[in-house]
Amino acid sequence: MLEFRTQGYNGYSVKYSPFFDSRIAVASSANFGLVGNGRLYILGLTPNGIVAEKWFDTQDSLFDSTWSEAHESQILTAGGDGSVKLFDINVAQFPIQSWTEHAREVFSVHWNLVSKDTFLSSSWDGTIKIWNPNHNASITTLPTHSCTYSAQFSPHAPSVVSSVSSDSHLRVFDLRAPASASNHLTMSVPIHTPPKPRMGAAAPVGVPPSEALTHDWNKYRDSIVATAGVDRLIRTFDIRMPGAGPIAVLPGHEYAVRRLTWSPHLSDILLSASYDMTCRVWTDGSAMGAGTMKQENMLEDPMVHGGGREMGRMGRHTEFVTGVDWCLFGAEGWCASTGWDERVMVWDARAIMQ
Amino acid sequence: MTQAPQKAQERLAQIGNHLGGSPDGSSSKKGRSSLLEKHADDVVVTCALRTPITKGGKGGFKDTQSADLLHGAFKALIERSGIDPALVEDIAVGTVLAPGGGATEFRAAALAAGFPVTAAVKSLNRQCSSGLQACVDIANAIKSGMIEIGIGAGSESMSTQYGPNAVSELSELLESHQEAKNCKVPMGVLSEQMAKDKKITRADQDAFAAKSFQKAAEAQKQGLFDEEIAPLTVKWTDPKTEEEKTITVSKDDGVREGITAESLGKIRAAFAKDGSIHAGNASQISDGAAAVLLMKRSTAERLGQKIIGKFVQASIVGVSPLLMGVGPAAAIPVVLEKTGLNKDEVDIYEINEAFASQCLFCINELGLDQKKINPKGGAIAFGHPLGVTGARQVSTLLTELRRTKQQIGVTSMCIGTGMGMAAVWVAE
Repeated sequence: MLEFRTQGYNGYSVKYSPFFDSRIAVASSANFGLVGNGRLYILGLTPNGIVAEKWFDTQDSLFDSTWSEAHESQILTAGGDGSVKLFDINVAQFPIQSWTEHAREVFSVHWNLVSKDTFLSSSWDGTIKIWNPNHNASITTLPTHSCTYSAQFSPHAPSVVSSVSSDSHLRVFDLRAPASASNHLTMSVPIHTPPKPRMGAAAPVGVPPSEALTHDWNKYRDSIVATAGVDRLIRTFDIRMPGAGPIAVLPGHEYAVRRLTWSPHLSDILLSASYDMTCRVWTDGSAMGAGTMKQENMLEDPMVHGGGREMGRMGRHTEFVTGVDWCLFGAEGWCASTGWDERVMVWDARAIMQ
Repeated sequence: MTQAPQKAQERLAQIGNHLGGSPDGSSSKKGRSSLLEKHADDVVVTCALRTPITKGGKGGFKDTQSADLLHGAFKALIERSGIDPALVEDIAVGTVLAPGGGATEFRAAALAAGFPVTAAVKSLNRQCSSGLQACVDIANAIKSGMIEIGIGAGSESMSTQYGPNAVSELSELLESHQEAKNCKVPMGVLSEQMAKDKKITRADQDAFAAKSFQKAAEAQKQGLFDEEIAPLTVKWTDPKTEEEKTITVSKDDGVREGITAESLGKIRAAFAKDGSIHAGNASQISDGAAAVLLMKRSTAERLGQKIIGKFVQASIVGVSPLLMGVGPAAAIPVVLEKTGLNKDEVDIYEINEAFASQCLFCINELGLDQKKINPKGGAIAFGHPLGVTGARQVSTLLTELRRTKQQIGVTSMCIGTGMGMAAVWVAE
């Protein structure tokens, strides 16, 4: 396990470069992101441990970042002052572009993996904005009317945008759909829908809505999205069946789940980071042979669903864990995490899996 | 940079919310500070009022039907709150003695008071907690999304409906079961036995009862009830002249001045020769009605309704039928546990004084501060119209909390056949 201290700055997000296996970006904020400056660290993994290759300071807190898919040295940040900034690590000190349209804190940014000239941002102001780095103004604004903690492009379809927000809904937008009154919204799935009742298990009772904080598209199964948030449960949905409720429910975290990411290597493996100070590795039960036996068993907690289970946890953080990401390269299983304990850790998930 | 502290506050609140939830839905956010937070989905009270409470058989409402009292409370509620009656979706009315549960005449009373036919009405009977149960039922219906706006109410005319017919005979089957049979033991008799078993002396009971009278008389003199009382004009037959008059009742007429423990000490016990319970240290037989308007905070804000308090949580607990008086001692700890409060964090307890003996027992059992109990007196001083009390306590509690600039209150009562109910309210 490698470690780096973001002295004086509390981590909010960590992202591996899609171009270099030795480069990590960390978005961080002074004073736990409540008030004060932000700092974007560019870290290099070297034989001598993790070193800070560069950092950029910002006026307000930084809550997220995303690497440009088009340019290896460019990276976007989500700012507490409502700004989205594009930095180039070959340029000293200042961002090369800054967009300020959001009225409140920007909480996520995501670069389109397919159509590499677009990216998006989501904000507490209840909107998602679609941008082109060459334009000064946003291309499209998608309203959610709810504090939107996380938004993404589908990795499979460049015009499909998804989000989760504090109103407990997973929304899917399709930018190809006509911009009618629904503003490209094609689907709005209540995340708190209880799983379908099944033989031998008590029908799940009503689940109250709760804020959804994070979600991620499966990298292999193009209709599967995982969500998680304040109710501590990780769920997966198949957007081909929005009315069917979650297809897997994974309880275990003891506090809200802050970040969720599917493995780039294995279609059933998830990694989560939580306020309970742990990162956990999960299988959603979809892989052949994993957990199917249990489904038929009786007298189970009706909320445990889909045969998934926790495969291991990393408990080295000493404060809320806010960011976690998989390395895209090399041996599957390497990942990085960051949190409010001012630490970035790089570790091998295989070492903690049982 | 003047904005910065506010921004930090907002971000902190956001993070705080993240730490709240839990998979079983029971919010782990508990305790005084989280109770005082305001959320859009809180169930709030925007109006709580009652008619005066008058002496059974003698008082101002002795010739008024229960449904007419309710009608008066409804009209006052509509007028004072300014609510559009068409927005009210359901009304629950607690009542104990009305034959057939009062279902027909209460629906009629609602229509006559100005609610359109779309406003549903039900009556319910959980004995002495019916009024509270009505408020809780409405609050829960709002919480679950079944309705948006509702009224919890209570109505009772003990003058016209109290009597031997109030309790039906038990079947042989039930008579042959010991605990079942106990449900029929008259409340005075079992309370007498309980006072003896729990060693609540007559002197203590009389002192407690006298205090209730003194507090109520003082509160009445200072006009502390005026805000919650909606005066009602009714027909009244003068017992001396048999002449029917129209009178306006605006005060509780059961409250007597100059009552002391000594003066109560002279009254003969009612249920046993060597007993301790008598007319002066038990609740009065009374008439009255009360109503509480409930809705979500977001609804209240949208309609511009003035929020006076919020409903937080309630508990219901069964106890042995013969120990029905201990109900509050069983129910209050449960509701405090549910809300994460400790007993000292509650500013005012409204505990119904069915009998001085049982109320006193509960206070001692829970170790509550006497000063926090019924600061304006209770049922011993101004009466206990059975189904009304639970709804009446809401207006009494919220006005007193606001007047004394305090916030958290509990209402509770014992329930015939052995139950206790309690609820936590916050004044705003």
